[in-house]
Amino acid sequence: MKLNRKLSRRNLLIGGLQAASLVVLSGCEKMFDSLSQNKNVQSLLELAENGSRRAQRLLTRRNKLAKEFEAKDISPKFRANGNPPPITMDYTTDAQNHWTRWRLEVSGLVKQPASFSLADLQAMPSRTQITRHDCVEGWSVIGKWKGVRLEEIINRVQPATDARYVVFRCMDTDSDGLNYFESIDMIDAVHPQTILAYELNDRPLPIDNGAPLRLRVENQLGYKHAKYIRALEFVSSLDKIGQGKGGYWEDQGYEWYAGI
Amino acid sequence: MAERPAKSPIAGHLVYRHNRITRLTHWISGLALIILFMSGLQIFNAHPYLYWGSTSDPDKAFLSIAASQDDGDVRGFVDLYGRKIDTTGFLGVQQGVFGPFARAFPSWLTVPGYYSLAAGRRWHFFFGWLFAISGVVYLIYNLAVGHIRKFLFTLRDAKSVPAMTAYYLHIRKTSPQQGEYNPLQKMAYTGVFVILAPLILLSGMAMSPQLNIAFHWLPALFGGRQSARTVHFILAFGFLFFFLGHLFMVLTQGFLNNMRSMTSGWYKEKVPVVIESTAQASPPEAAPVSSKQEAEKINEAES
Repeated sequence: MKLNRKLSRRNLLIGGLQAASLVVLSGCEKMFDSLSQNKNVQSLLELAENGSRRAQRLLTRRNKLAKEFEAKDISPKFRANGNPPPITMDYTTDAQNHWTRWRLEVSGLVKQPASFSLADLQAMPSRTQITRHDCVEGWSVIGKWKGVRLEEIINRVQPATDARYVVFRCMDTDSDGLNYFESIDMIDAVHPQTILAYELNDRPLPIDNGAPLRLRVENQLGYKHAKYIRALEFVSSLDKIGQGKGGYWEDQGYEWYAGI
Repeated sequence: MAERPAKSPIAGHLVYRHNRITRLTHWISGLALIILFMSGLQIFNAHPYLYWGSTSDPDKAFLSIAASQDDGDVRGFVDLYGRKIDTTGFLGVQQGVFGPFARAFPSWLTVPGYYSLAAGRRWHFFFGWLFAISGVVYLIYNLAVGHIRKFLFTLRDAKSVPAMTAYYLHIRKTSPQQGEYNPLQKMAYTGVFVILAPLILLSGMAMSPQLNIAFHWLPALFGGRQSARTVHFILAFGFLFFFLGHLFMVLTQGFLNNMRSMTSGWYKEKVPVVIESTAQASPPEAAPVSSKQEAEKINEAES
């Protein structure tokens, strides 16, 4: 009898502890969930983004290059992520015709708005680099890119002094029909390895990887590397672009500065 | 201020053990570590695979956590070097309102509980900064006041590790402890401060593309970015191991006394402590004896 009572008391204690820890755990989960949706808490947490950007840029010599790998390091398959490729008639027929109709429109705060065909871009001086691509999800692949430096375009269109960002307008859409877009600032735009790539691993840029033209901005994570680019826009502020955060993923809570 | 004998304070007397900076940074980094661990698992859930090297070829993951469906029965698995371990109920699959769904770490272990890589990253980087800053403040201050050397594990301590282990296991009656920290404590704290904390910060930074440009050696130090990610993951569980051990010791070795020393600074000595020099400080309560020059220094600084 005595033993039984002891046992049941112990069971009660263990059961109580289990129940308490469950309450604590689910309470913690609810607390973190509501804190994650609280605007004030989130703007506090976002302070870290600016801190990271400033600290990391302070530590990086301007125009220092990302590590370039050797041909033997190239990944067997360059994984594609994000929206599916555009499925409009214009896009698919133009893809079959080797992009004879596609043009890159450059506008906004520039002295010389311009429009380039793929052949125009391919005729400009090119840069080839074998670099590592890091997705925000955590995976990495190495690929060989060939393209025209964004600075080359900048020199031709001559941005105004108040142009602070380059916005990339893309042809791919999500399931709601929202177009992809991204933006980087002028510091990253003129980096020697920031290129508009039209070749991957010595072949024309595949559709899955953003044909006919995609961005490579090697100091940042994959979601900054806009694919299926159709236009560049030079702006002084990102407030009126999308929901004001400067990119498709940024509008959904990801950091604009993706160097971390 | 009377001269005191070298063997003091007597058991039962209060000593000023943790200075203000130590107490403050202890609680900040403790909170930060919990959130870093849980938001880190949220980030891991976005790609629950681990690799060695620079890249992540899908068939080269040495660890993966996934769900697989067999006759409508959804089960969770951890695959470690080709060995499949059924972890249904904990890892790989979770029961939701609409039935089971694939999820590496369960929502009660992640911050936030719902799936959001973006929110997980925001929590992680904010508390990463907080953890790093509080660690640096702690180190600079305690190096300056000479607190660190009291628990720095040396070769001499290594010799008394077996004796201390025997004491904890109740095989040996007397503690071989000399000074404020025993050899096992020194080993644990030195491990955390010299190995775990610096390496987890470095392996975290080795995943940043911008810092990869600034310091090409950073990912190379770990054998590539994916290796750095793997090391970061393993070290996080090193911290969890330390955290559980720390919690166990605090709970079993005089919980209230430990809590008092980490909140007010004052610790009640259980065993007489051999110390090199003594000085008396003005204590907050009754008339406890302070053993340390440092305590006096700090009291002066704080008053």
